[in-house]
Amino acid sequence: MINLIVIVISAIMLVLVLLWWRWPAFRIWIEAPKYFMLRQERRFDDPERRRHSR
Amino acid sequence: MTNSTEIASYPSERRNSQSSGALPSVEYGLIRAHVFASLVTLVVSVLFGLLVATKFSFPEFLGGHGWLTWGRLRYNHTQGIFFGWLGNAFLAFFYYAVPRLANRPVLSRKLGWFLFCVWNFAVVLPGWVLVAAGFSQPLEWAEFPLVVDAFVVLAFILMVFEFVLPFLKARLSDLYVSAWYIIGGIIFTMLAYPVGNFVPELVPGARGAAFSGLWIHDAVGLFVTPFALAIVYYVIPATTRRPIFSHFLSMVGFWVLFFTYPLNGTHHYVYSAIPMAAQKGAIVASAYLGMDVILVVTNLLLSLRGSSGIASKDVPLRFVWFGVVSYLVVGLQGSVQALMPVNRVIHFTDWVIGHSHLAMIGFGSFCALGGIAHLWQRIPGTRYNERMMNWSFWLLAVGLTLMVTDLTIAGLVEAQVWQSSAPWIDSVRAVGSYWLVRTLSGLPILAGFVLFWVSLVTGPRSSQAITPVTSREATEIKVAFEGAPAASHELIPTAWLSHAHVIAFGAGVGFFALSFLVLAILPGKELANEIKRAAPVTMPMLTASEQRGRVIYGREGCAYCHTQQIRSLAADVRRFGAPTEAWETKYDYPQLWGTRRIGPDLSREFNLHPRDWQLTHLYNPRLVVRDSVMPPYPWLFSGSANQPTQEGLDLLAYLQSLGRARQLSGFERQPLLSSVQPATPDMAMPSEPSARATPPSVPIAMTGGYSDSAPVLHPASNPADLQEEVSRGGTVFAANCASCHGSAGKGDGRASASLLPKPANLTAARFSDERLSSVLWNGITGSAMPPWRQLPTEDLRALVAHIESLHVASAPSSTQVSASLGQAKSLFAAACASCHGDTGAGNGPAAGVLAPAPTNFHLKKPTEERAWEVLENGVPGTAMAPWQSQLSADQRHALVEFVRSLYGTPQENAKQ
Repeated sequence: MINLIVIVISAIMLVLVLLWWRWPAFRIWIEAPKYFMLRQERRFDDPERRRHSR
Repeated sequence: MTNSTEIASYPSERRNSQSSGALPSVEYGLIRAHVFASLVTLVVSVLFGLLVATKFSFPEFLGGHGWLTWGRLRYNHTQGIFFGWLGNAFLAFFYYAVPRLANRPVLSRKLGWFLFCVWNFAVVLPGWVLVAAGFSQPLEWAEFPLVVDAFVVLAFILMVFEFVLPFLKARLSDLYVSAWYIIGGIIFTMLAYPVGNFVPELVPGARGAAFSGLWIHDAVGLFVTPFALAIVYYVIPATTRRPIFSHFLSMVGFWVLFFTYPLNGTHHYVYSAIPMAAQKGAIVASAYLGMDVILVVTNLLLSLRGSSGIASKDVPLRFVWFGVVSYLVVGLQGSVQALMPVNRVIHFTDWVIGHSHLAMIGFGSFCALGGIAHLWQRIPGTRYNERMMNWSFWLLAVGLTLMVTDLTIAGLVEAQVWQSSAPWIDSVRAVGSYWLVRTLSGLPILAGFVLFWVSLVTGPRSSQAITPVTSREATEIKVAFEGAPAASHELIPTAWLSHAHVIAFGAGVGFFALSFLVLAILPGKELANEIKRAAPVTMPMLTASEQRGRVIYGREGCAYCHTQQIRSLAADVRRFGAPTEAWETKYDYPQLWGTRRIGPDLSREFNLHPRDWQLTHLYNPRLVVRDSVMPPYPWLFSGSANQPTQEGLDLLAYLQSLGRARQLSGFERQPLLSSVQPATPDMAMPSEPSARATPPSVPIAMTGGYSDSAPVLHPASNPADLQEEVSRGGTVFAANCASCHGSAGKGDGRASASLLPKPANLTAARFSDERLSSVLWNGITGSAMPPWRQLPTEDLRALVAHIESLHVASAPSSTQVSASLGQAKSLFAAACASCHGDTGAGNGPAAGVLAPAPTNFHLKKPTEERAWEVLENGVPGTAMAPWQSQLSADQRHALVEFVRSLYGTPQENAKQ
């Protein structure tokens, strides 16, 4: 049981770190949503846009 | 983690394609409805909690009605917080955040209102009413009855359509971490809820506990935590106008949380009969979870760097910040608590209650309050009153800090008493003042919640839809990505990565399946084999009456103060007996192991207390245990303790069945040494050798049928020391004995009215040291007199001295006795010797089957008046019959004289 948990968690971490390290596009992709969220927040905060939304 | 190269390489078409066009609609009406429902249910739930806390200090308070009893209020408190408050608060946040995160509206407004009605009018409201009326399920975080559970599952399915489907339809590649938590949390809880609520009804005892453990932690870890984190990850960047520190780290946090949290559940059953592999797996998962919490909190606090000015002025952000810090503390606390050396000490104590309040208020509620306050400033026509909101924050922060600190210390105090051989009631006495402080700390918390509500309804009205910025500082912050140039090259094709929502969906299903397999199916299979191997062939099932009593036991919340789970620990074994084995719970549908102890474990209640003691204790516990905080159950009686209703008798029958199978099977009479051995040798802790090395011959609480030779406690011979002992004994007597025997020892205590035989009048007989020592050590079988061997020897000796001092020597009789002593001897041989023996030693031929045993006149020497009274009226509740109609007055007087002649040496008799 313990081995299973340790192996799976280690595997998840290893895969993520390898992706991060070896694949710049992954880095860009995985960080992108934080900008998307903020942009959406700005859109919804814009009174002009809100007036035209249903 | 945020550098300009990465930002620059983010293609402009991707930046714009997902966030262009008309804004999706937001269901403001549903947001407001859920916010108000959350605050109404919050205040009601906190009031329930306050009543529950008050009853620890004043157990009689509102104790006359079943629907206001501690157990039912406790059920409604936690379920109200879970469904009413947090459920509605999270739903309000979903309606606000999902359109922003998915760039699509939620599925349907009508569906939303239907979900609102189901959640509040088919789950929360009927759940409360049914629990108050006595229809519930005695499982942690699953107290609402099954009929309500069906609507909860329906509600989660509706949530999938309402909130998850927009993400699936949107096919976003930019799935923000809050969205991952929302999707994963909804899917996981929809699957885990039925497992925790329905399966324990179908799978008994230890096997059912494995499933319950799964849900106990999933409720907090996969409902409260993901949704609270979704709020945190949303409010921080939305308020500071800056992206979070690292979305990568947030994703690592998400995956580790969803992998490890479901595996935590069994850490509630460390040292139990659940297979050790599952226990250790849960402990390791808990340790990983602690690391995950550190990672998540680090990322969140780094996201706040440079924004201290905003955090100090923006109250919603401050609520969220407090929630993040609480999350760190509670996460680390949880990991440490799961470790065996810590768990063996603090488990079942108030420490854990402090931990759960820090999780549910400090983390879950503060984040939810921050989320509500944040969105309240941004939806049309609503604003909060900033001054009130500030007050709300500080009242809550101070109240919670006081409560958690108090409960943590109380837990340590309880643990210390439990590790000793002091009587159980000493732990109740020791934390009485802490419980009072806890109740008082609930007042600022209640006030804080009420002020929060007031703040929302007294804020300035505005038709403006939003507050463009939350503070001057916010406007000064330049959002880095806005100025970034468009990318000159394209991303490496990442087709599979664009299906993030599918991955999140799969995470919920996959991790649920994994935890189900690892924590429930595999241990359950092992337990089933063990039960099959170990259970006696003749193991009796519960009778119909006992079965009904079991339902009442569950309904009244008994399992929330009394465990039925003796752990493989020296302190448990010394106090309650051999560890609970899986086969003992073979017929327990659902399991009643419990997760907390206010009163003692009841696994071995069979033969422990006689019927009238049990009934008196249920009618009003303080009649027989002066300092008990157990609630009274007068609705199980028709006006007095000796008039139980059928429900009272059913509950009595169930209590007296606990541990019966084990005793009848002969397991209990085996040397304790073998029974203490854990199923798996690796369970033995280096610091836990005492139970195995020097097992007590009989557990502290054991009584009837288990008497063994008592040490003879002789009071001091020195008059000064004797006086001191008598004085000390008086104090011990007042605390432990006076409720039955009366403060003066005349057998007229409050409980005496409902006990049969009546408590002894200790002034009406002279007891030998041997007799008192034996009774104090073993109790009196067939009476309500329990053993008191758990008291320190000095206290027992002092009690002997005190009780002996109560005896009042009677004046010599002036009655003329016409019959000779010889005639009296013949009379005694004919009428009394079959029970009392020829020499009055209580060892006649019939004595062996009588309980209580006939009096041994060499050890207990009634006064002349008492002997006369007994001959006239007998002793109700014993085999001693009245002889008034069968013997003349002269004969009775002669018998009294003869009996007194049996007391001992002439010198001793002369003292009478």
